[in-house]
Amino acid sequence: MSPELLAAGVALGAVMLYAMFGGADFGGGVWSLLASGPRKDEQRLALERAIGPVWETNHVWLILLVVTLFTVFPAAYAVIFEALYLPLFIALLGIVARGAAFAFRHYGRRDSRLAAQSLRWFSWASLATPFFFGTVIGAVTAGHLEVEGTRVLSGPFEGWLRPFALMCGLIGMLICAFLAAAYMVPRTEGALREDFRRRAIGASLALGAATTLAIPVAAADAGRFAERLDDVRAVGAMALTAVLGLTGLWALWARRYRLAPLLAGATVAGVVATWGLAQHPYLLADALTYEEAAAARATVSAFLVALPIGALILVPSLLLLYLTFSREKLRGEETAH
Amino acid sequence: MGWDTLLSARALMGLSLVFHMFFTPLGIGLPLLLFIVEGLGLKTGDPRYRELARSWTPIVGLLFAVGAVSGTVLSFELGLLWPRFMAYAGGIIGMPFSLEGFAFFTEAIFLALYIYGWNRLSPLAHWLTTIPLVVSSAMSAVFVISANAWMNTPDGFRVVNGEVVDVDPWDAMFNAAWLHQAVHGTLASYVVTGFTVGAVYAWLIWRKVPAVNPKLGLQVAMAMAAVSIPLQIVAGDFAARRVAELQPVKFAAMEGQYGTERGAPLRIGGIPMDGETRFAIEIPRLLSYLGYRDFDAEVLGLNDVPEDERPNELLTHLSFQVMVGGGFALLFLAGWYWVASWRRRREAWLPGRALTWALVAGGFVSFAALQTGWFVTEFGRQPWVVYGYLRTSEGVTEQDGILGFFILFTALYVVISIALVTALLRWPHNGPKREPAARPAGSEVPGVA
Ligand code: HDD
Ligand code: HEM
Ligand code: HEM
Repeated sequence: MSPELLAAGVALGAVMLYAMFGGADFGGGVWSLLASGPRKDEQRLALERAIGPVWETNHVWLILLVVTLFTVFPAAYAVIFEALYLPLFIALLGIVARGAAFAFRHYGRRDSRLAAQSLRWFSWASLATPFFFGTVIGAVTAGHLEVEGTRVLSGPFEGWLRPFALMCGLIGMLICAFLAAAYMVPRTEGALREDFRRRAIGASLALGAATTLAIPVAAADAGRFAERLDDVRAVGAMALTAVLGLTGLWALWARRYRLAPLLAGATVAGVVATWGLAQHPYLLADALTYEEAAAARATVSAFLVALPIGALILVPSLLLLYLTFSREKLRGEETAH
Repeated sequence: MGWDTLLSARALMGLSLVFHMFFTPLGIGLPLLLFIVEGLGLKTGDPRYRELARSWTPIVGLLFAVGAVSGTVLSFELGLLWPRFMAYAGGIIGMPFSLEGFAFFTEAIFLALYIYGWNRLSPLAHWLTTIPLVVSSAMSAVFVISANAWMNTPDGFRVVNGEVVDVDPWDAMFNAAWLHQAVHGTLASYVVTGFTVGAVYAWLIWRKVPAVNPKLGLQVAMAMAAVSIPLQIVAGDFAARRVAELQPVKFAAMEGQYGTERGAPLRIGGIPMDGETRFAIEIPRLLSYLGYRDFDAEVLGLNDVPEDERPNELLTHLSFQVMVGGGFALLFLAGWYWVASWRRRREAWLPGRALTWALVAGGFVSFAALQTGWFVTEFGRQPWVVYGYLRTSEGVTEQDGILGFFILFTALYVVISIALVTALLRWPHNGPKREPAARPAGSEVPGVA
């Protein structure tokens, strides 16, 4: 395995982890927006308390993805960001609005106008951001972007407003909603838990339907990608993902509260992995392979040396963080942190 | 000159960086302050220290959160606005950025443990979480500044027929400007934190706003300020000598030096325009000494630099004057505070009216020095984005509509700033007045304390 391929694997891993952790945070915003029923406020508060301690950390997976891209695949970073600057700028606005709004609500006074206003910004931005990230993933995959070397030839509206990209946007939103609801199940109790369980089941069904529908859409709009889905490894990954998804649905249904979120996370990882396998060897479909986009060997190697050293510090710290905060039950009531 | 893409992109990048720079110095300095305060609490057993640290917790959380999103903006904008620059430089200076990513991660994790750990960790464990915070925040500054230093003194690669070859990411990282920028740029955070926290307490005390142990807070903050400001000035002198050597054109612009001459005078103030620095106080031969430690050394003047390789000397010189002036004003202020408090060593001493206002102003001055210092570095490097290799105009995106995003982001930053100021002004009334009775340490989460 070449260092470049290994580095591409690292980038894919970062996408996966961002989807699994950051995605759940966005989903928290989505369910804040869609909070309903008699326990509306409890739902929101429980979501907020779940996100509070971890959202910074979850957000850093995105940073890690971006820095990996520009260290190891600078050409791809430049081309993708230049070609898809509109959806990326919009997603960025969403990230800023959302992060700031969450902070104001969480650390500020709750009864203030600022807090109410913040909640609105937070929820809408949580819905929009994964959608636009999804369209970027779709556009990178569908192969409609034209480049020459590292110069972008296609216009600002090309690529990301097509059926497959929009479909990916939808899948992005559903992934977030599904994960957030599934992760909340073991961390709540009683009626509140039932609320999230029902939401998780609904989102899981919708996500299953959307990913299935994405295949014919890809065949029509993203031909090469659809072809590569026929690859044995991609088919294997797809089958495994489907099994994981269905088992997850069962676990929710059968009230296996501890199992359900693990399977939910694994399902999403499977969706991303399938996408990654079908994308191979391209970073930008039909235009730029990971080998063409890679930086000098010295840089790639240095990056791969730094990675495990960094992980040595990170992994135990992350475990410490999640163990410290994931064990307590979240109730929809106020406590000072 | 119309608002073309280059100008819009520079304006948006500059705006985003300035916004980021309001949060990061506190993100680097506050952990050190918390480390000191909680450490003193453990050592002396005086509960007031712990209360003090605790009262800062929501502020730290809020500033860090906004700082992190503002940083995300930057990492996106490097690609959105400067794709040509990144395609050129990403593989060479990506290394410090990647390492910075790890530092951020560590910082975010331990910050969460710090903020949410008040009831869950023992006092000792809680204090220990500040150590990785201090280290990782300083490291993140050092790493990202190394990337900026590389833009000033590119190293670790060669260009053959327009192709970048022989990349050595470690040489690139430890480039010639790295040391002075890392030292001076990181110390600046401690300067700003000391004076800003001091300003907040001086104001709270003067207005008699109920707050947690404000006098103690003022003392600790001013101790940090008083230690860091002289060091910062020494580091600044070192930086100036390095710039004189490595980027003589930037040096000439900083000093408003037009003619190349031996025994050049130091100009204090003044307006460099149209080939002449007017209204400056000139101290004969001092500039040659400060730049090269020789009263007769030759200093390059802008007139000997081709027109299209000169930075904007007006902006660079004025920014430099504000930073240096600010630095000496802060030194004076720290001295004033400690002399005044030492002369009246009574329990009840509080800063008088004049000193209070000076302390409040000190907070603003420290930020002004930090921001203008960056202006010196960034404006002084123009018209290059990679000094001597890539012009800023060659690094910019070819897409349209950047002006629209500049306007959108400006609006968003205005909204966030208003919200932030609103939230911060409420803080003293909002924060916990007293620490709630401590629960037995680690009782909730076995194995963590
Ligand atoms: C609290 C903030 C602060 C204060 C009081 C000072 N500086 Fe500064 N200075 C900065 C904060 C700063 C900075 C953080 O903004 C910069 C930008 C780039 C860097 O590494 O540090 C900087 C850059 C910078 C540079 C340009 C370095 C380069 O481009 O490579 C020089 C020559 C000086 N400083 C010199 C001084 C001197 C002689 C000072 C004496 C009073 C001084 N600074 C006080
Ligand atoms: C942290 C404080 C910094 C501030 C306040 C700052 C400020 C600015 C400003 C004002 C500009 C516009 C320049 C002009 O219009 O002449 C600019 C440009 C730029 N800065 Fe910085 N900068 C900072 C640090 C950095 C760092 C650490 C990097 C690291 C890579 C960087 C990269 C750039 C780039 C790529 C541009 C665009 C090209 C240019 O105009 O030079 N800056 N910055
Ligand atoms: C020399 C100038 C800079 C310094 C000293 C600095 C320092 C910091 C610090 C201390 C933080 C932690 C957040 C906080 O405490 O508020 C931070 C966040 C961040 N900075 Fe900067 N930064 C600088 C310039 C830049 C530039 C040019 C970039 C663009 C690539 C950048 C990218 C980021 C990112 C992505 C984050 C968010 C990390 C997170 O999620 O925790 N920074 N920066």
